[in-house]
Amino acid sequence: MPGVSIPQDAYAVELRNLRKSFKTSNGVQDVLRGVDLDIRRGETMVILGGSGGGKSVILKHMIGLLRPDAGEVIVDGEVIATPEKFDYSTIRRKMGMLFQMGALFDSMSVGENIAFALKEHHPDIPALSVEEKVATLLGMINLNPAFATKMPSELSGGMKKRVSLARTLALDPEIILYDEPTTGLDPITSDVINDLILETQSKFHVTSVVVTHDMASAFKVADRIAMLYQGHIIFVGTPDETRETTNPFVQQFIRGERRLDPERLAAT
Amino acid sequence: MARTNPLLVVVEATGEATTLFFGKLFGALGRMLATLGDLFGLVFQILWLFRFTFTKRGWLLARTQMMDLGVASLPLVFITALFIGMVAAVSAKYQFQNFVPLRYLGTAVTQMVFLELGPVLTALVMSGRIGSSIAAQIGTMKEKEEVDAYRVLDLDPLRYLAAPRVLAGIVMLPTLTMIACSLALIGSWAVAVGGLGVTSYTMVSGMRLFFRSYILLVCLVKGTVFGGLISILGYYHGIKSAGGARGVGEATMKSVVSSSVMILMFDFLITFLMLF
Repeated sequence: MPGVSIPQDAYAVELRNLRKSFKTSNGVQDVLRGVDLDIRRGETMVILGGSGGGKSVILKHMIGLLRPDAGEVIVDGEVIATPEKFDYSTIRRKMGMLFQMGALFDSMSVGENIAFALKEHHPDIPALSVEEKVATLLGMINLNPAFATKMPSELSGGMKKRVSLARTLALDPEIILYDEPTTGLDPITSDVINDLILETQSKFHVTSVVVTHDMASAFKVADRIAMLYQGHIIFVGTPDETRETTNPFVQQFIRGERRLDPERLAAT
Repeated sequence: MARTNPLLVVVEATGEATTLFFGKLFGALGRMLATLGDLFGLVFQILWLFRFTFTKRGWLLARTQMMDLGVASLPLVFITALFIGMVAAVSAKYQFQNFVPLRYLGTAVTQMVFLELGPVLTALVMSGRIGSSIAAQIGTMKEKEEVDAYRVLDLDPLRYLAAPRVLAGIVMLPTLTMIACSLALIGSWAVAVGGLGVTSYTMVSGMRLFFRSYILLVCLVKGTVFGGLISILGYYHGIKSAGGARGVGEATMKSVVSSSVMILMFDFLITFLMLF
């Protein structure tokens, strides 16, 4: 949040020279070509980039769904993943992730979705306090408690994402990763999600990493913005710095132009 | 233009086709061996995870799968089993001609049903029903990032998705096989008495003749192994699927094909080990 002072040396997540390539039908595609990024504790970092550019791949490395080809992922000062080492057991529960389409468990009701991991990780927790927690979380995402018995298939896209956030918050994570939280939503619903991201941030003092290509969302929620371009982070700055930067690629992205501005390109 | 010898063309084409055929065959064998290697590790991990079934919530997950995969399959098993028995009676009668006395009809049918037809045909039918359904379900869950969601919530997909299904397969398939065998005997009795001119007394006493409970054990072992094969292969192909609807379709197909082949291979193995 703007105005909150952040200790400069406290990083929640650090990426060092992260590389990842995927085999495709026509050869090998280098998606990440040496990504360096530091995310400070308590800040909201927005990672911008084109579709298919590897933004989600970065998130999946942070939370251990993918293993790097080279480089390091460091969480809370601890090296979690390198090509040789891959151990997320100590930090898994500190992190939560909101998936692009919500990824709710289809076979469970909304309430069960929210409570499932909680009950599994704390088998002795009384049923009453689980119910209370579900009700609180539903309130937090502005859903009527009656929604607890609905099935995910009965929810709209925006609602699914909100429930997914509630499911993530049920485990009290310290770091929340948002994978394109506003993609596929109308502008008003998008803004509801943006407000939820801000609210989560202020209420739970979490570190948030938001991957998006929605500029309105980026400027609204970000403390800092990073730009991923061709497998590298080419820019990191506050929203104001982002608006004012002369970096032609960032400007192109902000304005949504098909061509690079030749004058700006010449100036760099 | 150079004239080509038609004989040469035929030989060349045959050669190419043969190379292609063996290439495909060995490719398929190679893939199958790789799959077997993967599966071997998976089997032990899943067996170890069965310990969670003894918790209240673990049992709930397994019970749901047992209902979905096992109990809901009863109508299908009911119909197939009756026909298996009926066919067994008619074809045994045909093979007896007039050389073997008809009092052995029940004996032959019983041995055939418990040792081979019951377990194998039930398993083949069930691989189409539950193997494909597991593969499609897990494949779709993977596609919709639900499997990743389990991982992110620090829930092991093997424990929550694989173990309950495999346990259901291992418990429910031998149960269904036993039910199927009993129904097959009833079917064969009905056809023998109704259509083949055998008296009920002759048929039933034939069934009891040479009956050893050992054949029930063989039947149960086959059912258990086949149940494990079907559910593990369903999960394996589902979790390996990639590439949207096409990938899920492919996974479903692979699960049915590979479990059918494996059922027949393991059928031979078990028969050889237990009866030879």
